[in-house]
Amino acid sequence: MATGRLSSSSVAQPAARIDQLRRQLGALEGPGGHAGECGALLALGNPAIDGALGGGLGSSALHEIAAAREAEVAAASVFALALAARKTSRRRAPPAIANSCKAGEHDGAISVPASGLNVIWIAEDLSLVENGALYGPALDGIGIAPERLITVAAAHTREVLWAMEEALRCRAVGMVIGEMRPRGIDQVATRRLALAAAAGSALGLILYTAPDDAPSAAVTRWVIGAASSPNAERGHGIGPPRLLARLVRNRRGPLGTWIVEWNSVEQRFELATHSKPMAEEAFDRPHRTAVA
Amino acid sequence: MVGKRGNLDLLLAVDVAAERLGLAAGLALAQARAMHPTLTAVPEDQDADARLLDAIADTCQRYTPLVAVDPPDGILLDIGGCAHLFGGEEQLRDDLLARMTCLGLSARAAIAAGIGAASAAARFGDAETMADASGEARKRLAPLPLPALRLPDETVAALARVGLKRVGDILDLPRSPLAARFGADLLRQLDRALGREDEPLTPRLPVPPYVAEKSFHEPIAREEDVLACVERLAARLETTLTARGAGARRLELALFRTDGAVKRIAVGTSRPLRDPQAIRALFVERLAALGDEIDPGFGFDLARLSVLNAETCADEQISLGTREDQVGLDRLIDRLSARLGRRRVSRLVARDSHIPELAAASVPAQAITRAEFGWDAFRRFRAKAGLSQRPLRLLVKPEPIADVFALVPDGPPARFRWRRALHEVVRAEGPERIEGAWWSEDGGPARDYFHVEDTAGLRFWLFRAGLYCDTTLSPPRWFMHGLYA
Repeated sequence: MATGRLSSSSVAQPAARIDQLRRQLGALEGPGGHAGECGALLALGNPAIDGALGGGLGSSALHEIAAAREAEVAAASVFALALAARKTSRRRAPPAIANSCKAGEHDGAISVPASGLNVIWIAEDLSLVENGALYGPALDGIGIAPERLITVAAAHTREVLWAMEEALRCRAVGMVIGEMRPRGIDQVATRRLALAAAAGSALGLILYTAPDDAPSAAVTRWVIGAASSPNAERGHGIGPPRLLARLVRNRRGPLGTWIVEWNSVEQRFELATHSKPMAEEAFDRPHRTAVA
Repeated sequence: MVGKRGNLDLLLAVDVAAERLGLAAGLALAQARAMHPTLTAVPEDQDADARLLDAIADTCQRYTPLVAVDPPDGILLDIGGCAHLFGGEEQLRDDLLARMTCLGLSARAAIAAGIGAASAAARFGDAETMADASGEARKRLAPLPLPALRLPDETVAALARVGLKRVGDILDLPRSPLAARFGADLLRQLDRALGREDEPLTPRLPVPPYVAEKSFHEPIAREEDVLACVERLAARLETTLTARGAGARRLELALFRTDGAVKRIAVGTSRPLRDPQAIRALFVERLAALGDEIDPGFGFDLARLSVLNAETCADEQISLGTREDQVGLDRLIDRLSARLGRRRVSRLVARDSHIPELAAASVPAQAITRAEFGWDAFRRFRAKAGLSQRPLRLLVKPEPIADVFALVPDGPPARFRWRRALHEVVRAEGPERIEGAWWSEDGGPARDYFHVEDTAGLRFWLFRAGLYCDTTLSPPRWFMHGLYA
């Protein structure tokens, strides 16, 4: 093997040598193998979150979303569809957002291919019975046209995984969402999905109906819960979807917790500024918590 | 075998041993028991008979696509134009009979110009009549008994009363008195048997417009062989389809097993398709989904690929951009549908209904074109009626909620219990009243929908079915219908 030969050779210039080794490592890992090679970046349209993500989510990579608990699957679904809306809509985020972020980090956040407008939502039968199916008339309100959605019902988790892999390899698809219970999905399966996502142009999203801490090949993992409407507006009705988004794993940067509202008109997440003080901090790397 | 006809238990069929004892079909069971007390009588099972007949007809499908079942015990094959494939009519019949013998069945077969004549010869003819396919119909039919003409029992009995027992007896009788006395049916059946009147054969399966088939001297059983064969057949179909400017929307692969069973595998496509590779890919998924259900047994010795539905498919240049995307998406839908099932891959369609659960439906993605989605009409309706935001997830069925406590009878609930958990409502919007289908008997009561949020921030769409003011009905009940974020 190439590495064997190289390790036996004498090292003249350490810097050049390390550089060379890095390149070889990158070649060995292949596309999508590590952070940085997951395609164009999909910004969430919010400087604080995009900053933590280093510009956005890798748009041809695998990500995971878990509902904070079974009853909050609807919140996680909104988050998933909001990402889908951002990924597949033709309109770009207003430039003001990109400018307000640190320069240099957002070079990749500009171009998402115009093709691949379709969203495929694959769900397990049991989850559909438990949490209900997507309701077409609501989709416009999230910012995604029901015409662009294809729904697939699968009897088992392994069928969900198979269908996700097939869909991820299709060029016409911009987003693949696979909804399942967090059980019996091993790292090999997520690795396969990550490779399929890297090979295609679609963003793969596993949507767990409850939190799961199994190891996974996904680039980021989110736990999404519902958040209360602001108290100040008591009696003023119920506002736009409001989510407590916790970024609990991130291969490319720090973790964070945000309360966000999905603005479906401008298609971006907005921090809920008028909310109560911050929710709990990220538990495993508190020193790196990004505070909104 | 015994069955009830009228009030009488009759022998319907007897085996060889019973025949030797002098028993015959049509004898009363009591009488037969009196003659032979040790007789074993088996009750008839018409459903099983019908299934067996159907299975045999399936086997016969290998000779011609035009096969009809002639209950209770006959199968009709239209072999016009395909006898030469088996070396001639005689050879075809011999092959068929040999196959039936292999299956453990005893069968009689006759070939004639029409259904009437063939049926008469097969059921009532002797060996000579059956063998003589080309002879003059009159001569062949004359010695046969009248039931050979497929007449109702009453007509046969009425004819027997005046001494007419054989076909020959009525052949030369004047027609109008016969028709007047025994009905026009008698003459029609006679004409059909003699070939004076055509009788169409109604095939049991629709005849596919395009068919390619391949028979094997050595049966095949491996999946790879079957798939390779599919591709070869598809390549043959492609030539024909291209010549006619058509493409397949629905394909069926029929695999004829050596023991007579026939396995049929169908796949659908979302656009007219004729590319052999793509067709093969669909069958790969289908076979993977079926798994062990396709039991090859001792192997398949005939494979037939038919196009069940064809549509015109203009030759087109595959250009860059969206068009290519569309093709890719259709391929994906086809693959998913083939593996998971057609109904599982769907698109959301708006329906013209104001009742929430009927306003949207899932329709198989393969079956629908973009123009039929109906969302534009829905958007116009929503803008005009000012509908409130709908929940993202709608439960399969509204679920009853318990312990509902509302501050005012018509107001939103302040507290309710759903799936065992108690929710305290903090905010509510509504009501939005949605009337039931008042024009229908079981339309249900009007519903008042509320959009509520509980202390944890969970948002629900729930409704009260019925109104408090209407005291004649049972008190209103509350249901959970959807989940917001």
